[in-house]
Amino acid sequence: MVDASVAKRLVEAIIANLPAPVPGERPVHTIGVGVKGRFVASDVARTYCIAEHFKGEPIPVSVRFSNGLGGLEQHDGWSDVRGMATRFHLPDGTATDLIATTLGEFFVRNVEDFFEFARVAKLEPYRRQSPWRKIWDILQLKVPARNPYPKETENVNAGALRYANRHRFAQLGVFQAAVIGAPVSYVRASYHAVHTFVVTGPDGTRRPVRFSWQPVAGVRNIAPTAVSHDKYLREELENRLRRRRPARFMLMMTIGEADDALEDPTKPWPATRVRIVMGTLTLTEVPKDQEAAGRRISFNPCRLAPGIEASGDPILEARLGAYEVSREMRGGCPFRWS
Amino acid sequence: MAADEGWFDRFVDAVPRHRLFKHVASWTLVPFWARWTPVKPLPGGPRPAMQPGDNIQCMMNLIMPLKIKSPIGRAEAALAIAQNKDAIYAGLNNVGTVHFARFVIVGDNICMFSVYDGDFTNYIRDFIATIGEVFNEVVKLVEGGEKVTPCEKNVEAFIQWVHERDLYQVPDTATDFLRDQEALSGDKAASPVNDDLTLLPRRLVLQLRANANVSLGSGYRAYPGFSVAQVRKQLGIGW
Repeated sequence: MVDASVAKRLVEAIIANLPAPVPGERPVHTIGVGVKGRFVASDVARTYCIAEHFKGEPIPVSVRFSNGLGGLEQHDGWSDVRGMATRFHLPDGTATDLIATTLGEFFVRNVEDFFEFARVAKLEPYRRQSPWRKIWDILQLKVPARNPYPKETENVNAGALRYANRHRFAQLGVFQAAVIGAPVSYVRASYHAVHTFVVTGPDGTRRPVRFSWQPVAGVRNIAPTAVSHDKYLREELENRLRRRRPARFMLMMTIGEADDALEDPTKPWPATRVRIVMGTLTLTEVPKDQEAAGRRISFNPCRLAPGIEASGDPILEARLGAYEVSREMRGGCPFRWS
Repeated sequence: MAADEGWFDRFVDAVPRHRLFKHVASWTLVPFWARWTPVKPLPGGPRPAMQPGDNIQCMMNLIMPLKIKSPIGRAEAALAIAQNKDAIYAGLNNVGTVHFARFVIVGDNICMFSVYDGDFTNYIRDFIATIGEVFNEVVKLVEGGEKVTPCEKNVEAFIQWVHERDLYQVPDTATDFLRDQEALSGDKAASPVNDDLTLLPRRLVLQLRANANVSLGSGYRAYPGFSVAQVRKQLGIGW
């Protein structure tokens, strides 16, 4: 387990790279919306994992969708990683969390990588390139850098690219983040928990797995050339639920094999791995009390019900402590089962 | 429209999407960069299997140019398949590791697309053993086919011949594609390196010039990780 001082340094490294950190708020994924719903496991889920929420009874959930950027400025239409943090409220009063983002792979392997990334990928001014520079890129068969969004004056893109150019393990995560786009709805994106977990079946079999949420309404992004709107995602979700349009996700669990990248969040698993449908999440309402519905909930990727364990992924280990530090800093509820 | 955006900015932004630019670039920029920064054709077929699961539901995408490039040539190829349908089906049943297989005519090419379990070399050997005669009938209609027929007597040469006509499978991730190019050049460095990710579009264009036909990604599977034997057993339909 990462010690408290390292966890604190991790959070400080993140905060140091924010344009305007906001006391009392999450340093990143600041903007979000809490949603209520229920999860029902599939009829096969219990044969793979003994955790309570896979037994088949409807389980109430609290979900917080979020934009990845830090700060209180809302830019739904900017290309950005989105978050989907889910808390399953178990019948015995405890809870288990599953934290996922639209980024399928991470860009660093461990804490040391992350500190170097934070040093290199600093906020830098971001301006429109001159047309001559773009012409030069086009002549080299490169895609010119995108124009800044309205009000976008800085970002970490150049630094992240420099880091990826030095480290091949980072290239997939950085590339995917660069082209991730903006979804038309929070419920029209796939979310990936990235890290490997170990689930225990009723016969004691332990399997390394990765979880993903697949949207039943399908994946759809805003066209990259469309005008960017700052605020639409929460309103879209509220309207969708009010009109009873699809707002469901399937929970997919991919089972890894022994020599797959079990502890390296920068590496995907092959598409040939067995894939289990573990259940369906149905969202029902956006509560008016957003404090209780999402803002005050302190999700943690290592809050896991019996039957699910964290793997030895060093980033997953580090997130346990980093999330707790962040929670303390903003006065969220402490890490405990409820 | 941003306040600092002039007509020239908008014009340049639109250039890469314009059809005329794409045509002109194909005739000028692409050949230029192909000479200046050449790429080698990437080999076809599935990647080397590292795990048991990598040997299940492998994809084969064979593209074989016909000798007679006309409706008559295509009709001959279609007849060669149609007249041997029973032999093909019996052979595939006997091989026992084929999930799906079909012959397709695209332009003046006879193509075979299949999904199979196990190693590529063993897969072709099994085919030669069970439907070698059918292969001979088809391969004699294909450019270069006479060198490897009868396939039962030229097994190794035939396996290599098939491998050369199996499409390169572009990986599921863009960066794995870069790794394939690097591996072909003997570059297996990890960190630190001196790459330029902004060159990815050019490298992709040049690669698709070297490999004009490719299979995009590893393909969707409704039930990945299960062999023919397992599926048939689970469904209770015998194997």
